[in-house]
Amino acid sequence: MTRSDILAIINAIMVKKGRAEIRDEAQATREVNFRSLDFSETALRIENQIGRELSFEAAAMRKIETIRDVLDFFEGATVVA
Amino acid sequence: MTQILEQNSLYIGSDRLTWADLCHRVATRVARLAPGRMASQNTSWDLSRSRLGFVVDTMADALSYVAYGLSHDLDFAVVERSRLSSSVIDRFRDNGVTLIDGTTGHVMAPASGSPEPGRVTVLTSGTTGLLKLIPHTAATLNTFDRVQDLPENTWFLPYQIGSYAWYQMVMLGLFQPKQTLIPGDFNNLIASFEAALEQGALTAVSSTPTFWRQALLSIDPALLARAPLRSLSMGGEIVDQPILDRLAELYPQAVIRHIYASSEAGAAIVVSDGKAGFPARLLERDIARINLRVRDGRLFVRSPYANRDEAQSWVDTGDLVEQRGDRFYFLGRAGNTMINVGGQKAFPPDIEAHLMTHPDVIWARVTARKAPLMGALPVASVVLARPIDFDAAEQMLTRHCEAGLADYAVPRLWDFPTDIPMRASLKS
Repeated sequence: MTRSDILAIINAIMVKKGRAEIRDEAQATREVNFRSLDFSETALRIENQIGRELSFEAAAMRKIETIRDVLDFFEGATVVA
Repeated sequence: MTQILEQNSLYIGSDRLTWADLCHRVATRVARLAPGRMASQNTSWDLSRSRLGFVVDTMADALSYVAYGLSHDLDFAVVERSRLSSSVIDRFRDNGVTLIDGTTGHVMAPASGSPEPGRVTVLTSGTTGLLKLIPHTAATLNTFDRVQDLPENTWFLPYQIGSYAWYQMVMLGLFQPKQTLIPGDFNNLIASFEAALEQGALTAVSSTPTFWRQALLSIDPALLARAPLRSLSMGGEIVDQPILDRLAELYPQAVIRHIYASSEAGAAIVVSDGKAGFPARLLERDIARINLRVRDGRLFVRSPYANRDEAQSWVDTGDLVEQRGDRFYFLGRAGNTMINVGGQKAFPPDIEAHLMTHPDVIWARVTARKAPLMGALPVASVVLARPIDFDAAEQMLTRHCEAGLADYAVPRLWDFPTDIPMRASLKS
């Protein structure tokens, strides 16, 4: 799954929740109001698209501060080991 | 109580207030608004002659109305506006509770019930998913009264307004000397916990395992590690060994308890040996007049902290337990329908009922889907009354849910079957 595919999912959620689309990956998740619920929904939508459950590393999740971190995280999580 | 109202304090944002301050704040509001709003009935309003339900928007108002209600011996309930679905309103009306907008003083839903001084009605779906109004008093909610010489503590209060656990913590602040509360902010609970930790005053936390999992995941480990926490209580869901071990490692100086309680049975089991489950020997003992028994794998409790309808009775908790060696372990609920969304309880029947108030919805079914970070998210299957583009339908129904449900209860994934599934019993 490409980075732009993941960003498209995030932006679809943002639009559905009545918020502005993400234009700058450097924006902080708090700044754009991208919440834990949105993060979880993104994960489920990615799982739907790739047809399998994602595997997560708690340490990587803890470091997430920006949208770029979110994209990096999901890019990594979707890579088949 | 009057003395403690003046002495014990709590933080509302960065303001440190006494309970008496909060009481006064609401007293002014009630005196100004209540008689005027009832003028159409040509009568002044003696609050002690009604069953009252204060509908609140903020933690400060919720805490204020509890302090006011108890200090005036009212028959009252406090309910958060986001929980005010049509079925909740009906339940209050059917029980004779007049709902009052705690912000404006308007009567929202009048009812005529017989008041009982000092009754505190707790709205709960418990862990069963069924809406219930549970009658309590300060005595049955104040479960800390059996703790002797409670040390001075500053507690983080992470619970949802009006929940049984929330009331227990509020009673701790109202009735036990030297107990300070720092309420969490539900718009971002973990961030408010982080802020409370940074403030450096917290010494105690009452919470759920899910809360701690989120905190451990989200908060700087160094900040967590240097917090001078000496008392940790967990409950509300099954407390597993890994979370107990992790917290014991992080806070070796702390007393870590896990507490089994329900809004019907009251606080029943307190375990502080660092192990999950509870010792089987508790079934043979009478501790603080609390008795336990297991029948057909279900836990029954008889407790003086049970709600008043259940006092002196055995309460079927509906929780399944299994004995392994000299301990019992919790297995979950019998016939559970609740969805645990990051520690918040979302109830499919409530969400379905709200969805089906939309004119374009014929049928709705809400279930849980396992999700990272939050544990689970509600997902909806909806049969539409007319053909609508699925993306447009999702957006439309998301907005409909956001207008009437708490944000964690808004379904996150949707599908739109064309037929209502039906079994041979004619139930879906």
